[in-house]
Amino acid sequence: MANTDVIVTEKITKVYAGNGVPVEALRGVDLTIQQGEFTALVGPSGSGKTTLLNIISGLDAPTDGKVWLSGKLLSGMSGNELSDFRRDNIGFIFQAYNLIPVLTVEENVEYIMLLQRVSKAERHRRVAAMLEEVGLAGFADRNPPQLSGGQQQRVAIARAMVSEPAIILADEPTANLDSRTGADLLDMMSHLNVQTNMIFVFSTHDPMVMERATRLITLKDGQVESDETKG
Amino acid sequence: MWLTLIKLAWRNLFRNKRRTIIASIAIGIGLAAMIFADALWVGMEENMVRTATASFLGDGQIHRKDFRDTQAVEMTINQLDKVVDGLSQEATVEQFTPRTLAFGMITSPANVSAISLVGIQPPTERFLSQIDDAIIEGAYFEGDNNRDIVVGTKLAELLEVTLGNRVVVTVAQSETGDLSQEMFRISGIYHLGGDAMSGGMVFVRLGKAQEMLAIGSGVHEIALKFTDTKYGRDTDLPFWGQYSQHGNEALGWTEILPQLQAVFEMSKYSKYIMGGILFAVVVFGIINTLFMSLYERMFEFGVLRAVGTRAFGMARLILFEAGALAIVSIVLGALLGFALTWIFTKVGIDYTGIEMMGVTIQELIYPIMTVEPFILYPIWVFIFTIITGLYPARYAAKIAPATAMRRSF
Repeated sequence: MANTDVIVTEKITKVYAGNGVPVEALRGVDLTIQQGEFTALVGPSGSGKTTLLNIISGLDAPTDGKVWLSGKLLSGMSGNELSDFRRDNIGFIFQAYNLIPVLTVEENVEYIMLLQRVSKAERHRRVAAMLEEVGLAGFADRNPPQLSGGQQQRVAIARAMVSEPAIILADEPTANLDSRTGADLLDMMSHLNVQTNMIFVFSTHDPMVMERATRLITLKDGQVESDETKG
Repeated sequence: MWLTLIKLAWRNLFRNKRRTIIASIAIGIGLAAMIFADALWVGMEENMVRTATASFLGDGQIHRKDFRDTQAVEMTINQLDKVVDGLSQEATVEQFTPRTLAFGMITSPANVSAISLVGIQPPTERFLSQIDDAIIEGAYFEGDNNRDIVVGTKLAELLEVTLGNRVVVTVAQSETGDLSQEMFRISGIYHLGGDAMSGGMVFVRLGKAQEMLAIGSGVHEIALKFTDTKYGRDTDLPFWGQYSQHGNEALGWTEILPQLQAVFEMSKYSKYIMGGILFAVVVFGIINTLFMSLYERMFEFGVLRAVGTRAFGMARLILFEAGALAIVSIVLGALLGFALTWIFTKVGIDYTGIEMMGVTIQELIYPIMTVEPFILYPIWVFIFTIITGLYPARYAAKIAPATAMRRSF
């Protein structure tokens, strides 16, 4: 395993019990993603994209196989260790934004830093900088329902990135946005990827994401069908 | 972090205002009912004690030991002068009065009845009993006529007598057991208590009773009233030991009327049972509210877990929500309980005429508000709500993030 290999999966399989009939969602997936990659996981519905993201992030456990993130084997971790690991190493961006509606924009963005016990002054500084970065300076005191879909997704990006994790996992981040807003956000994430060298892994059907991705991994029937790195 | 979770819990609680308000009112009504029931019981207890002690019993009594069991005429209080001198100097004793007690028979031209003949000292008796206030015809021992007798309405009806009519009272004398008969004239008719009292107790002057019973200047009972009614309940008061000497026995009303005290003791358990039932109803309200709120936000819980909130953090959030629900409910319940109780402290509740454990309630019952239920019951509600919240909290802690977010990752 090279020093730059941040995500490594080895023969990952996942079998769901689904109504008594076992369903194989993943069938021996081997994958290595390196620092700074802007990767898109593509494939038809049911190909295993979501399952793979769940397993990479430690939200779900594989039936068989191993996952290493930043050199650490996930299957050896306790529940709390996994929570702490996700908190410190993974940022999530969801299709439906999934901000906490009763918290303000600022509170949503600083939530992970609260879990990390970052000082108040530092939290404030980083939130302000991050909101500036995503173009939402001046929106700190708003509540998510007062924002447009695009603005909410920007907040979600700020929340995912503010704690400077090594990996950003994004599940269909542009699916609920119009194409122009989606393109803007993708440009912003692409820029942040270059700027910060964080890994971005997208699960997507969106051609705009595929266009911007530096690596395209296609899944089919739970297996990697193709793995293409763009020049 | 605690502050953020508290803030989050508080705001979450009001995401569905209507549901929260309905749940809070339901819990609050339970609390208000407890507060009101407590105040009502304190008022009823106070009323029954006052009725029992003020109508005739007194806060305490002194007798010759074993007199209460045997009712033997010759068993008068030992060293009466010493006892009376002592009581006169007791700072805790406000009033006392001597009595003779004897079973006898009363005869009118129309009928005959068994009675309890009570010899009283009218000037002091008026401080210890309500016979004087209960006179509905005639007068309460005016003048100094030794032939005056005061009877109850029930007895007067039985004997078919009215004011001024003559009756003959027969009692057995001390030591010899010889019968002593005297003629009296009805000078007053009272109505007090239940049938047992107004149908069986007749009052004559102390001197005349002593003469009939041939007990010299002896008395069978000294009823006393303390400066504070609480002394009557205090069985550890040194007073009782001090006057339970020389073959005498001094007892508070709780020992003279143990069935009443027993009812009060039992009532404590009744309160616990009632509280338990109310709280059981409340439990389901809380569980329902918390689970509905939890299911609605399942995805959100998945997100919180995904971004690194530990299982305990999730449980803590639900417990804070339960705590916030408890606080809102307590405020509502305490206000409702106060308002309800306050109204009835003004208008009272009419239980007059109902006899409980030998005590006939004679006045409206006014609930008595005390501080304790406003502290104790809210603490119970809070603890109970938190305990109830443990179940949904445990559920939230065990939520698998991937399952919770299955619509997405």
